[in-house]
Amino acid sequence: MGRHVHTAGLAVAAADPVRPSRPGWWRQALALTGKDIRAELRTRVAMSAVGVFTFAALMLLAIATEQLRDAQAVRQTVVYGLLDRQSVAVTGADLRPAWDAVGKMGLLWVLLSFAAFSGLSHSFVHEEETGTVTALRLSAPAGAIYAGKLLFNLLLLFAIAAVVTPVYMLITGMPAGTPGVLALLMLGGCGGLAATATIVAALAARAGSGGALYGALGLPLLVVFLLLLLNAASGLYTVDASVVRIIRDVGGLFSYDVLIVAVSALTFQYVWEE
Amino acid sequence: MDTRVELELREVSHRFGLRAVFENVCGTACGAQTLVVAGANGSGKSTLLRIAAGLLAPSSGRALFRWNGQELDAVARREHLGYVAPDLMLYRELSAAENLLFFASLRGISPSREELISMLAEVGLKGRGRDLVGAYSSGMRQRLKYAFALLARPPVLILDEPTANLDDAGVEIVRRIIDDQRVKGGITLIATNEARETAWGDTCIRLGSQ
Repeated sequence: MGRHVHTAGLAVAAADPVRPSRPGWWRQALALTGKDIRAELRTRVAMSAVGVFTFAALMLLAIATEQLRDAQAVRQTVVYGLLDRQSVAVTGADLRPAWDAVGKMGLLWVLLSFAAFSGLSHSFVHEEETGTVTALRLSAPAGAIYAGKLLFNLLLLFAIAAVVTPVYMLITGMPAGTPGVLALLMLGGCGGLAATATIVAALAARAGSGGALYGALGLPLLVVFLLLLLNAASGLYTVDASVVRIIRDVGGLFSYDVLIVAVSALTFQYVWEE
Repeated sequence: MDTRVELELREVSHRFGLRAVFENVCGTACGAQTLVVAGANGSGKSTLLRIAAGLLAPSSGRALFRWNGQELDAVARREHLGYVAPDLMLYRELSAAENLLFFASLRGISPSREELISMLAEVGLKGRGRDLVGAYSSGMRQRLKYAFALLARPPVLILDEPTANLDDAGVEIVRRIIDDQRVKGGITLIATNEARETAWGDTCIRLGSQ
């Protein structure tokens, strides 16, 4: 009967069992990601948590930007008025917050980081809280579980970044810089953030301490991640930045990604098994 | 199913912090045997079953699982056992059929629609496969756990409080599953404090009576 379940499972007598061969870990990971996506589309728990936070943050940012515009417009009118004895029409480009491009990029990733940490923990915490973790442990090895959860969190973060980043750029006027480098930066950033949030969520969920441990473990990793990201962003906005510098800066970010995924994959089985 | 599988508890002890739950528990079960673990609430029955299933490491001693003479570690043995327990839950946001298909895919099994229907019918859930597990009663969830445990026709069944939340028909299904396991030469390990279920076993380990 190979890999098929016996039709009359309970009634069949004396059948010599043919053990189904376990699928590769990546197939198991894909099955887990698919299950998480299906469950998320039904419950929308993670999307709601992330959505409420990002909507609130973007609204606050839009209001603050508007106030900054007004204050800047008044200041410029007064300055130009004193000089030229007439009001000056202020162009849109002048009306953005006074931070430089790297500062705006930093704020974007602070926003994405908090959004990620509020939503991405759900996938592990939910398994632990609802008791489904035992069924998962019985059915798949730790490596497949980690890969499946990481992939789900990565996809969720990509979706969040794809929505939030254009809106954020519209509100703050953050420049795109070189589009290819920006895309690499977003890719590396999402990868690092998803990997960090995934392993920290796993540690916190298994320790049963929830939010407290989540914050305590997440903060040091987040600081390193943001420093590397801002370093890479400075290259993005430097006029005539050499290719070598861009590779070095973005490479630093991707090195973090590789390191955190490798360390997480190695430590996860100790976290996962009691 | 030949007598290729063997379960041995060798001087197993477990502590939660400073409190010893049980000490030096021994027991063996091989093909076609049913081993019952009995004892009062808090005597460590569920803990002992989790240790046997490889879900929990004992503080001392060993829970050995041999398959064709080969000893399997805690992770490898899970492929060969079905587990039903109060602390095992299935996904409430998925239907019964989706749950079974998901766990089957993790185990490398691809049941057809007919096989899935048959599997649900065997545990008394005929026609309820599309319902969300969240909408199930506690008894229906217990029945679904049996469908989950029997997915890969495991040679070892580990049943913690096997008839919890079940009506008479459900109890009859469990008894039939245990009988069928015996006929096929498999092992069943049961934790219970019900006299009726204790009688289902060939041998009994009583916890909390040292």
